[in-house]
Amino acid sequence: ENSPAPLPERAIYGFALFLGSWFGFILYLIWAYVPETWLFSLGLTYWPQKYWAVALPAYLLVAVGIGYILLFGINMMSTAPLNSTHTVTDNYAKKQQQKKFQEEAIPALRDIPISEVNRMFFLPEK
Amino acid sequence: MEERRYRSASGAPIALRCRQHSASCRELAVRCPRLQLRSLSAVTSAVWLAAYGLFVLSENSVVLSAAIFITLIGLIIYLHFVKIDQESLLVIGSLGIQVTSSYASGKESTTFIEMGQVKDVVINEAIYMQKVIYYLCILLQDPGDPQGVSEVVPLFQSSKPRLDCLIEVYKSCQEILEQRKTAPHQA
Repeated sequence: ENSPAPLPERAIYGFALFLGSWFGFILYLIWAYVPETWLFSLGLTYWPQKYWAVALPAYLLVAVGIGYILLFGINMMSTAPLNSTHTVTDNYAKKQQQKKFQEEAIPALRDIPISEVNRMFFLPEK
Repeated sequence: MEERRYRSASGAPIALRCRQHSASCRELAVRCPRLQLRSLSAVTSAVWLAAYGLFVLSENSVVLSAAIFITLIGLIIYLHFVKIDQESLLVIGSLGIQVTSSYASGKESTTFIEMGQVKDVVINEAIYMQKVIYYLCILLQDPGDPQGVSEVVPLFQSSKPRLDCLIEVYKSCQEILEQRKTAPHQA
């Protein structure tokens, strides 16, 4: 049902988007370059100031540049500090139920406490 | 009492010294590299060159004396509050764990955690800046929940030893902490 194959509907949507984006671009160029007096003489008096034809792209580029730094900063802020219990456990691990051990079966998946993991890794088996 | 050489997470050489005072008391001390003369002179020259540049632009000699003042005060603050010389861990089996940080100016800051509060001493991995580092930490017991961890106390924060050094310290601590289970608990 959900395949990425080309379909007639998808072709139509694509072509409509293609025409729409070309139309938007030509409209933007007209708004930016055609002098105001010519637009007034055609009756188009309520278009936004031409200042915005330069300001909006400038805002967009600065926002993209700041976005890199912002994302980096948000990542650093969301990282748990070294002294937080979130590095060791979380709500799901605290509430997990212990399944009964069955002979000859693979043990159920569970969050193993860090003390047990440390003992297994770092203390040599006698 | 031997001293073994290891490396910190950033590559600086550190030294681990392990002293066994008795069967249930051990002291593990990690010594950080001392303040290097070359980095001190590099920072001082940079600050003084910048101040001289400002003096040439502004013709005000206060800039030069201010730079000398800032360098001296900055160095004293750095040695007293930032530069840690040695971090040590004293584990006494029935009593508790004492963590001491000695600063380069001689100041020592100590924290004591009694054994009843200590759940375990483990090596944990966590994301620090852009790296994942191993660090030793004390897990404190949650009074309400025997399986729960109420707090995590990271150790050796400024020397940040690598895994080989941490395994040595971990094994030493575990030998003492295991005695808690075998010996009867006396409140």
